[in-house]
Amino acid sequence: MDYFLQLAVSGIAIGAVYGLLAMGFAAIYKSTGLVNFAQGEITMIVAYIAWTIATTVSGNVVVVSAGAIAAAVVLGLAIERIVMRPMLGEPVFSTVMVTIGLAVILRSSITFIWDAYPHALDLGTGRGIIRIGGLGVRGAQIAVVGTLLLLLAGFWLFFRYSKFGVAMRAVAADDRTALLMGISASRIHAIAWAASSVVAGIAGIFFAISYDLSPDMYQLGLKAFPATILGGLDSVLGSGFGGILIGLTENLAGGYLGSGVKDVAGFVMIVVVLMIRPFGLFGERDIERV
Amino acid sequence: MRSGTYKETYAQLVALTDSRLVWFWSAVLLAVLFVAPYYLNAYALSFLTLILITAMGALGLNILTGFTGLISLGQVGFLVTGAYAYAIAVSKFGWSPFAGFLLAALVPAVASLIVGAPSLRLKGLYLAITTMAFSFIINSVILEARSLTNGARGIRVRHPDLLGVGTAGDVAFSHLCLVFALAALFATLNLRRSRVGRAFVAIRDNDIAARAMGINLQSYKLLAFATSATMTGLAGALYGIYLSFVSVEGFPFLLSIEALAILIVGGLGSTLGAILGTVFIVLLPEATRLVFSAVSGGAGGLFTTGGQELKSILYGLVIILFLRFQPRGLVGAWHDLKRAWVNWPLRY
Repeated sequence: MDYFLQLAVSGIAIGAVYGLLAMGFAAIYKSTGLVNFAQGEITMIVAYIAWTIATTVSGNVVVVSAGAIAAAVVLGLAIERIVMRPMLGEPVFSTVMVTIGLAVILRSSITFIWDAYPHALDLGTGRGIIRIGGLGVRGAQIAVVGTLLLLLAGFWLFFRYSKFGVAMRAVAADDRTALLMGISASRIHAIAWAASSVVAGIAGIFFAISYDLSPDMYQLGLKAFPATILGGLDSVLGSGFGGILIGLTENLAGGYLGSGVKDVAGFVMIVVVLMIRPFGLFGERDIERV
Repeated sequence: MRSGTYKETYAQLVALTDSRLVWFWSAVLLAVLFVAPYYLNAYALSFLTLILITAMGALGLNILTGFTGLISLGQVGFLVTGAYAYAIAVSKFGWSPFAGFLLAALVPAVASLIVGAPSLRLKGLYLAITTMAFSFIINSVILEARSLTNGARGIRVRHPDLLGVGTAGDVAFSHLCLVFALAALFATLNLRRSRVGRAFVAIRDNDIAARAMGINLQSYKLLAFATSATMTGLAGALYGIYLSFVSVEGFPFLLSIEALAILIVGGLGSTLGAILGTVFIVLLPEATRLVFSAVSGGAGGLFTTGGQELKSILYGLVIILFLRFQPRGLVGAWHDLKRAWVNWPLRY
């Protein structure tokens, strides 16, 4: 039973990281209709920036988080403005291929800007192991679950009540009508990219605190795909919960069936979900009219 | 000056080309490709062989993504399946290389039906994600099935003897690849002008309309998957022999992206484009290296320390720049050039 609980708890913790990334996927898909294959790479770069701040400027948690979030906003806006906006109006295949190209560039630039070795992101807190009953959990693991829940609530309120949130939903539903109503689609896209890269960056920092930084951190993005597919590509909240489900499944499968299964549990789940409910648990069903 | 083409029969319409000149230059190119291995040094020859193998893989993906419009990010899955099918048959069981190549064609085709069947309901992005998931699952299956595949240790593959002709030498192996690439090229060209090829293109352009015209979407999509996987699997077997070692690490996910980059650079849906794109992408890292070392001697060192990373960055840049500035690819640029040449000094 203890073994099960330990697996479940660490599964939920890593699942929360996937969930944050998946929310980033969904935020972009919802407003621009494309899947951002560079999400994992953005996560990794923000985490590396946080590490650079921590080692060169100050290891203070507040300074590092503020710096990293600011960097994430700049990164998201820069990508949208320089790379994605010129592709407005091109077919989805082209725009998605552009994000794949971007992913490959960002992924490889890590080794040129920083190096190929793993690093520990030590902010003085979060790495210590807290004992609850028989379970050992890192502070950062608890914090990431809390953050996910907070952000889920925040996003829900944002989409429901804020002017920008409603505008984003409008652009997602029908961008032409939204344009006619005086909503600037490109501004909405910019906000979506910035928000998504901030959420991804937060996930990256938590991951780096609980585990370590390394140039193969971009694989988090691949792990978050199943989460957002499960939750529904167009559902930000669903994606968050999807992350936790995927984290749990993966960890339990890894614990009981072997580590080889752990790596692909999520991908097997993608195939199953797409066969049964292609629009995900919380997504909207696409109706095709001729 | 040719002032237009007048076609009077269907046979003329579907002919590979109506120009004697094209046939002549193709024959010259073929002769050059046949003779070149005798004169090239080992380094240049390895690039020629790699181009021939890659062209075959690119033609395979072109059938799926270029003709049928099904985006696959899992092409490396078919490549690795073909390589392992050949390696297991020939190196482990000691079967004849012919059986090896046959298996390298059949096993990926069967695998593609397994991926294709659940993907039939999916379109665009969802399909791309499923095929990507498939390629990761394949890797995991290969690593787990240790008794057959030696797990992470991989399998050593020797150059095969075919009908008593050894292909141990680089020249002979290059000829073998030339034969395979030519077969793939003619298969693609002929497929494109047959009923099946036209059905593929119809599905790409508008699947609902295609269905209304009596095209069975499911069987044609599966057929596209199987044809593509067969060709890619054979390319995988050749690539395994080229590397002389088959392991999961030898087939990284980057190959899937490289294949899509080839199609985008060449021009999506064009057979000529797939070939041009292959030459461009395979030679790009080498050409960049030469330019860099010519400009500054020191920058050459970057390529030895971070060669793989620099290659990825180049692929990424090429994909983005082509999609942004030349979405029709090299083929589009070639057509523009031809038109400008014929019409000069008029615009059109």
